[in-house]
Amino acid sequence: MPRSPVGREIDRVDGRLKVTGAAEYSGDYRAPERAADLAHAHLVTSTIARGTITRIDTAAALASPGVLRVYAAPEPIERLALYGVTGQAAGFTEPYIPLQTAAVHFYGQAIAMVVAETPEQARDAAALVTATYAAEPPRTSIADEPHVPAGPTISGSPSSLNILAPGVESIDAALAASDVVVEAEFHQNVQHHVGMEPHAVLAVWEEPDRVTIYAGAQIPAAYALGMAQRLGLLPQNVRLITKYVGGGFGARVVLWSDTPLAAAAARELGRPVRLVLTREQMFTLTGHRSHLTQTVRLGASRRGVLNAVSHRSLAERPSTMSFTMTPAHSTSDALYSTPNLHVDAQLAVLDIPGSRAMRGPNEAPGSFALETAMDELAIATGVDPVALRLRNYATTSPSSGLPWSSKHLDECYRVGAERFGWSTRSATPRARVDGQWLYGTGMATAIYPAARRTGFAARVQLRNDDTAVVSTATSDLGTGATTMVAISGADALGIPLARVTPEIGDTYLPPGAPAVGSSGTHATVPLVVDAARNVIAELKRLAVTRDGSPWQGAAAEDLRYERGILHGGGRSMTFGRLLTAIGSRGVDMESSPGGDPIPGVIHHSFGAHFCEVRVNRFTGETRVTRFTTVADVGRVINAKAARSQLVGGVIFGIGHALLEENHLELRTGRLANSTLADYLVPVNADVPDIDVVMLDRPDPRLTGPLGDGSEDVGTGSLGARGLGEIGTVASAAAIGNAVYNATGIRVRDVPITPDKLIEHL
Amino acid sequence: MRPYTFAQARSVREALRGAGSDTAFLAGGTTLVDLMKLEVMTPERVVDINRLPLDGITLDRKGLHIGALERMSDVAADPAVRENYPMVAQALELSASAQLRNMASIGGNLLQRTRCGYFRDVSTPCNKREPGSGCSALEGVNRGHAVLGTSDDCIASHPSDLAVPLVALSTVVHLASARGTRSVPLDTFYTLPGSTPDVENVLRPNELITGITVPRSPWAAHSLYVKVRDRQSYEFALTSAAVALEVRGRTITNARVAAGGVGTRPWRLTAVERALTGRPATSATFEAAVVRAADGAQPREHNAFKPALLRRTLVRALTELQESR
Ligand SMILES: Cc1cc2nc3c(=O)[nH]c(=O)nc-3n(C[C@H](O)[C@H](O)[C@H](O)COP(=O)(O)OP(=O)(O)OC[C@H]3O[C@@H](n4cnc5c(N)ncnc54)[C@H](O)[C@@H]3O)c2cc1C
Ligand code: SF4
Repeated sequence: MPRSPVGREIDRVDGRLKVTGAAEYSGDYRAPERAADLAHAHLVTSTIARGTITRIDTAAALASPGVLRVYAAPEPIERLALYGVTGQAAGFTEPYIPLQTAAVHFYGQAIAMVVAETPEQARDAAALVTATYAAEPPRTSIADEPHVPAGPTISGSPSSLNILAPGVESIDAALAASDVVVEAEFHQNVQHHVGMEPHAVLAVWEEPDRVTIYAGAQIPAAYALGMAQRLGLLPQNVRLITKYVGGGFGARVVLWSDTPLAAAAARELGRPVRLVLTREQMFTLTGHRSHLTQTVRLGASRRGVLNAVSHRSLAERPSTMSFTMTPAHSTSDALYSTPNLHVDAQLAVLDIPGSRAMRGPNEAPGSFALETAMDELAIATGVDPVALRLRNYATTSPSSGLPWSSKHLDECYRVGAERFGWSTRSATPRARVDGQWLYGTGMATAIYPAARRTGFAARVQLRNDDTAVVSTATSDLGTGATTMVAISGADALGIPLARVTPEIGDTYLPPGAPAVGSSGTHATVPLVVDAARNVIAELKRLAVTRDGSPWQGAAAEDLRYERGILHGGGRSMTFGRLLTAIGSRGVDMESSPGGDPIPGVIHHSFGAHFCEVRVNRFTGETRVTRFTTVADVGRVINAKAARSQLVGGVIFGIGHALLEENHLELRTGRLANSTLADYLVPVNADVPDIDVVMLDRPDPRLTGPLGDGSEDVGTGSLGARGLGEIGTVASAAAIGNAVYNATGIRVRDVPITPDKLIEHL
Repeated sequence: MRPYTFAQARSVREALRGAGSDTAFLAGGTTLVDLMKLEVMTPERVVDINRLPLDGITLDRKGLHIGALERMSDVAADPAVRENYPMVAQALELSASAQLRNMASIGGNLLQRTRCGYFRDVSTPCNKREPGSGCSALEGVNRGHAVLGTSDDCIASHPSDLAVPLVALSTVVHLASARGTRSVPLDTFYTLPGSTPDVENVLRPNELITGITVPRSPWAAHSLYVKVRDRQSYEFALTSAAVALEVRGRTITNARVAAGGVGTRPWRLTAVERALTGRPATSATFEAAVVRAADGAQPREHNAFKPALLRRTLVRALTELQESR
């Protein structure tokens, strides 16, 4: 009898393929039938941030060996045949059409493309393309450029709020009336997603009006739709294959300029074209997290009970693709109970490469500010940081007043404090020394929004060999989504995991959930369960109607499906045997529509981080030495993959706190650290053992059945809630708070590098 | 990458035949191939020298002899090096990554080029890469750049970790050209940028490094290399210090000190050495000796912390070394 795989430590179904190199990522596909035909493209990028191209000299590149074409802006539109994108896909497509105008919007924009027989020939010829410009001074300073209100947050709530208790005139008045006030300003530089796999695309045209694209995409449906519009095709004539993806983190949400250019060149040349961005190009052509300034003001009683919370921010609005940065979203507007709440987000238009959501897009920077300020309040009031948070625990949202579908944050604090040994901490900063190293501990709260998502589908097929195929066009960014689909299917059908084949990452499959906003799992699970329910009903219908079935003529209600076997009238048969008996190779059904949001509740995942750092008392390097994270993320589907996600999230936080920043040169608009030597991400040596606990408290009001439910389908995977980002949220604040505890130095500008500490050590 | 001709040499003579300013010698290739791909270096001829008999790590009365083609990893693992020149092994082990150290040679290490981001990005002006084009780092992002030995034309820091202990220990570089052989102290092998930052050393275009000799000394065995960086591994130094002390009783009788990450070449600190010599090996001595370590420093917008970090790095290294006795 199979034990349900839900919640167990399950190896990735594609793990072996990945570690042996057999998994084909976008840059690995070779279109076997047309491999001899494959041509390679390389982009040339702008070296000014704003202005117009006056001339591009392509003669030397054209004369270079193996070169087939050089496309240079401004190219006549007919040749590449690229068009504007409107409607639904527009929000996920870069707003300008590449290589069609002389305008330069940012430093590092694609201004020419070389196509050649080999990748090396294309790269070397691209280096021979020269451009002259009429340059204008770029807008690069968020402080100096005019500020505009950010507009609605990613989930549609207002980014500007002013909630005041009866009789209170203004947030300033509320703060002034508080016993203790903490005010702090925070700054962080541009950050990047830095997925391990470079952005790569292969475009293969099957007909003059039909193309298959191989590229990494987080929202396959929107990506394919955007491509169809860009190329002037019918939506059904673009097929996107995105089977293995080496990290998204938000950078693959958008259809950037690379994929349309490769596809347009492939169409014009009549050959498959592959384009792989260089690592340097990825820094300007595939998005970044906006740099920003935040101000948090907290007013509280002497006991630390909050009376007022104010959180303002100022970030970029790039003149092309722009992510609306609202860092108070789901942090200050959701985390603590307060009678007076003020949040506001402003943006400044800059001539900087396009920005995009990056893991914990608002919540990571927002929580760094809020949770650092909370630590400052703990110091100012003398209240223990965990006690302070419990004292301000919210049971309803401070902005909407609604309760949560499921919230066990208090348990996260309790379990985490206990595992970490929080009670032995010294609250006095700079109290503990071990040789050259000052050490200290800190904590912070993580929160990340979840929402029910509708409009997607999954299909379950039962086959006559007693196996099943579960299909949905979501994408697996390396998170383990493919394995999650298999686990959910195995649980729903009650059959062993090994007998379930998951199929994802192909837009010819039923439209799957986007792999964004930590929602892929909780959006997919109900679809799989529902499709399983429907296919079981269909199996019963076949059993009572088809020739060859022992139950022909019986009533479907009298049949019972359990663990892959139909029972009824004293007989039993596996679905495979039944299908064979009625002469069918397989039966499949899709999920039904439904799953609309439940009114009157809001959804978040929660967590508590505890960490210890050591700071060298001579030279100021910070080393993270211990980390415990307790997460309240609903039902855990795969304990192994879930833990990896949380560990990876915390590592993101280590990068945020200690390493990651790209400097924008104000004079030129160039992002100066656009290589992996100059943009530092954590290496193994920076990462301690990270202790992760998941509470495993199901949240069925977020992830419930789509239809009426059925007794025959397994529902063990319902109740899941996303966890891809929660580890990233506030882990940087926990580190910064530990640095304060170790040294007595408060650094509000991340990353916390030695130069910011040594003056005060 | 630009087209080039490729040859494999089997002897020093063969390698030098026809070598000129258009020739690059290929050792591990971890600097050369990188910079050729970026088109920062565009040699017309590449001569692979890996088959040359420039190997061997031997210790004799005169000192430690290392062939130019010995790999960083082999030198770091050599028992004679570890025991008699610990800071040399430490500097190597704190460099790059295991994979790179397996490829990279000692000769190539000493000739590696600066990590200045503008030098490596051919779309930006850089006097070192293209004399007369200007220095983007002066007004650009210069957190990693030098504060000592800089000029108005270049502020690039010297990247090698290994060169720092070698300079402290008065290492000699052995060179060979068609004209014969010569030996040059490493300290004067490197030149200051001045108005010709494209010239980094006294090596002639048709000259090979054949090896180095690190003199024997009572202090080399009591030595330490400390490297300060943002990331714990796989990063160049913000600052580094190579310190060697000979201590009799409580008194320092000999000191060798050099710094990395702060100078346009590996920076020997003879004034600090003098201030340590003859004094008790105490933290008061260390603190006092480093006060003027960064005299003459010319900090820029993002590297103004370097003089203070240098002093702190030196005190840390001296303290740690003394505590390890
Ligand atoms: C990612 C990365 C990280 C790194 N981190 C560090 C670090 O932390 N610390 C550090 O010190 N270094 C670091 N390095 C630099 C590395 O140590 C050097 O690239 C390496 O030592 C060069 O040796 P090579 O044999 O590969 O030289 P090559 O690349 O083969 O040659 C370098 C140059 O020297 C010339 N050359 C080589 N041998 C001779 C010879 N015998 N005679 C005359 N000319 C010669 C070549 O023509 C070329 O110009 C790093 C490098 C990389 C790529
Ligand atoms: S510091 Fe030197 S290497 Fe860097 S840009 Fe200036 S001249 Fe070039």
